[in-house]
Amino acid sequence: MYKYTLRRLMLAVPVLLLSSLIVFGLMRVMPGDALTALMGESGNIGERELAKIRKDLRLDLPYHEQYVLWLWQMVSLHPGDSIFTGEPIAVSLRKAIPVTLELAALAMVLGLVIAVPIGVLSATRQDTASDYVGRVVAVSGLSLPDFWLGTLVITFAAIWFHWIPAIGYVSFWESPLRNLQQFLLPAAVLGFRLSAATMRMTRSTVLEVLREDYVRTAWAKGLEGRIVVYKHALKNALIPVVTIVGGQLGTLLAGTVIVETIFALPGMGRLTVEAILFRDYPVVQTNVMLVAGTLVTLNLLVDLTYAWLDPRIRYQ
Amino acid sequence: MLNDHLPLASRLNRRTFLTRAGWGGLGATALVASAGLRRASAQTATAHPDWIPASSKPPKRSGVLTRASAWDPPVIDPRLTQSVGLYQFAALAGSRLVRYTFPDEAPGPTDMTLKGDLAESWQSSPDYRVWTFKLRPGVKWHNVPPLNGRELVAADVKFCFETYAKEGVQSFTFQEVEGIETPDKYTVRIHLKTPNVLFPQNVAEPITVLFAREVLEEDGDLKKRFIGTGPYMLKEHTRKVRVVLARNPDYWDKGRPYVDEYIILSTPDYATRVAAFRTGQSDIIWLASPSEVETVRKTNPNAVVQSYHNSLTPFGMALAQDRPPFNDVRVRRAVSMAIDRQKQVDTLFEGHGIIGWGVPYIYYQDKQPTLAQLGPWWQYRPAEAKKLLAEAGHPNGFETTLFYYEYFPQMTSQVQIVQQDLKRNLNINVKITKLDYTTYYGRYVDSKWEGLAWGFQSGHAIGLDERTYQYMHSKSTKNFFRVNDPVIDELTTKLRQTPDRADQRALTRKIVDREFDQVLRMWMPYDNGFMVFQPHLRNQAALALRRTDGYGASTIGRVWLDK
Repeated sequence: MYKYTLRRLMLAVPVLLLSSLIVFGLMRVMPGDALTALMGESGNIGERELAKIRKDLRLDLPYHEQYVLWLWQMVSLHPGDSIFTGEPIAVSLRKAIPVTLELAALAMVLGLVIAVPIGVLSATRQDTASDYVGRVVAVSGLSLPDFWLGTLVITFAAIWFHWIPAIGYVSFWESPLRNLQQFLLPAAVLGFRLSAATMRMTRSTVLEVLREDYVRTAWAKGLEGRIVVYKHALKNALIPVVTIVGGQLGTLLAGTVIVETIFALPGMGRLTVEAILFRDYPVVQTNVMLVAGTLVTLNLLVDLTYAWLDPRIRYQ
Repeated sequence: MLNDHLPLASRLNRRTFLTRAGWGGLGATALVASAGLRRASAQTATAHPDWIPASSKPPKRSGVLTRASAWDPPVIDPRLTQSVGLYQFAALAGSRLVRYTFPDEAPGPTDMTLKGDLAESWQSSPDYRVWTFKLRPGVKWHNVPPLNGRELVAADVKFCFETYAKEGVQSFTFQEVEGIETPDKYTVRIHLKTPNVLFPQNVAEPITVLFAREVLEEDGDLKKRFIGTGPYMLKEHTRKVRVVLARNPDYWDKGRPYVDEYIILSTPDYATRVAAFRTGQSDIIWLASPSEVETVRKTNPNAVVQSYHNSLTPFGMALAQDRPPFNDVRVRRAVSMAIDRQKQVDTLFEGHGIIGWGVPYIYYQDKQPTLAQLGPWWQYRPAEAKKLLAEAGHPNGFETTLFYYEYFPQMTSQVQIVQQDLKRNLNINVKITKLDYTTYYGRYVDSKWEGLAWGFQSGHAIGLDERTYQYMHSKSTKNFFRVNDPVIDELTTKLRQTPDRADQRALTRKIVDREFDQVLRMWMPYDNGFMVFQPHLRNQAALALRRTDGYGASTIGRVWLDK
């Protein structure tokens, strides 16, 4: 087990290096830079002055030197400052990460709370009205884009209830109630989308497992339906579900930008997209590497979770 | 059994499908038609006042004003940006030497009277090269370290303007300054390199707020703190969350401001901003079209709507007029005549838009220009356009390119309508490239592009000098439209030396006529929009070139809440 974990960790190094090269290269290929964006619409800054600022920010170095410098900053856990705002990236991340983590965690919980019971219900009552309703909900979740659902939710909440979550992020520690109010709707929007795939997967795997011999044996032994489904079938059925949930968590961390924008939450998504738009190289690179690192870790955790869920799985 | 589970798919034959599709189509048509009717009815519902007079009640001093804002300040250092994100509050925390009238002082939205802000009075030498500003005594910096409420003196103004001139994005505004003297504590004497009668307008621009010397010296920049002498103090700036301004108790204008706190909430999504207004979380909102106003008024019938009338359009087609084919005035005129601007106003802006001109009309006439007043080359005359293009040697049209950044949702449609007009009427094939902001901006201001660009002029400028000399003179770095016309150079220079207001108007008229005649900047229609306020706001109105939610934010200094 230790060897396996170590090997997986070693494999992560080239993956992260490749990611760093790709993000570094892509950002340099894009036309324009942060200074151009910052000077936006002023049009009255001379080339000489721009060159001076570029030099101050070391943007005049050859690309390979910039890359090595940045790698060193990453390894030494000092990713530098934002070119655009001048704020240390570590500070920006300290503000943004908790927002996205909270949003992702709540969405995940809501998604699972919706998906697993409905998935199981759908499977155990296959081809009944409740199964159809569950499947319709799942297909809706897959087909309705976040930007549409989010906009609809916020617009109709304002029209029908004359209420929307308070704008202006407040941290959980500052005011737990207000914080939860702010996160409930965005988490529900994200969670609904997540629940769709999870629900479909739960339904199909539970259906498959229910046809297994050992389940039939359990029925034959006269066990209660609840015990057969939840104790014997569900545990094994959840392995593929865990796989997609792990993947979804990564997607969530990297893909909350639309919901964060609609609900005015200052998370990683907004930070990254703004940084891309304004060519804030260090911020984009650091954020992408953070997401890449998180995804690698999550994949590892998912693989390790298999062992816990299915003792037949052994690591060689 | 299977059929029971597949009721629709199994029983749906071709005939049934066509019947249902037919009814569905009819239903959809009815929906679209009713939407069209709604839109048509909205077009007639623009009978909102264009001015909200000051309240006759005595102001109350209390409350919190909030606004959901699309913009976030990139940095709070005024040397580094002219972004509306910063200037939506900078002129509240800071002050300028001179300012324009506030809504409670102005007789109407087009009033452009200059008033003293930090300066009590100002006058020029006879040749308009030396301007002397007498500062208001007793103005204090905000009472926070390191200023601790010390008095503002002439040396502060000198330091600030010299710093602006030395580096950063405001340098162009101040580069005409040859030197600054401070003969005493309250006198600032500014020597210009060339005469400029409009100089006081330049120091009334919202971007010329004064910053504190001590902050720059202590921090090395102005990115962390914004300390000024304005009616509000910057209490909090959390990027992508909020800007909080607290009332400055030591403000020189005793009793003002009236509102205790002004909170700007970072709200990038439009639907969320509308929802925030509907639910009372935001007191002010900008709405572009009549139908949007009517939709909001369904839930907020008491909202106060001001029908805004733009005094200029910020966007137009910029042509590479220093090279073929656009260096030929006949080509420029033909292109202009092939574009149906009225159609854009009617469709994209629901009739509540302007045809398009670049110099604020308030500087040369009393009312918004009509299409006819723009001259022959701005009328939609496709047949004449085709003839003129043939005369210019392009009977079969030509190929060209156009790049743009989508500043607002209708812009893409606008660009496509122009593309269709040019193809249909002149057989000009325009290849469109939509860019992200940074790429667009970099390419546009670089001024080396070929063909066409969807150009802009800066949003912040109020003064006539900015809108003429600085944007049109061939030597100006802000001449993004690449105007290179000796007549314009001469007229804009002369304008700077013309002190009489009537003469200025006449000269501006000549500049505009020349611009229209030569089609130097091909302006495009733009929305007029609406400012919408919660009913408890008083002394609140948007003025020409000074929209409350943008660069004209200093007007909030006089707002009070009647609740």
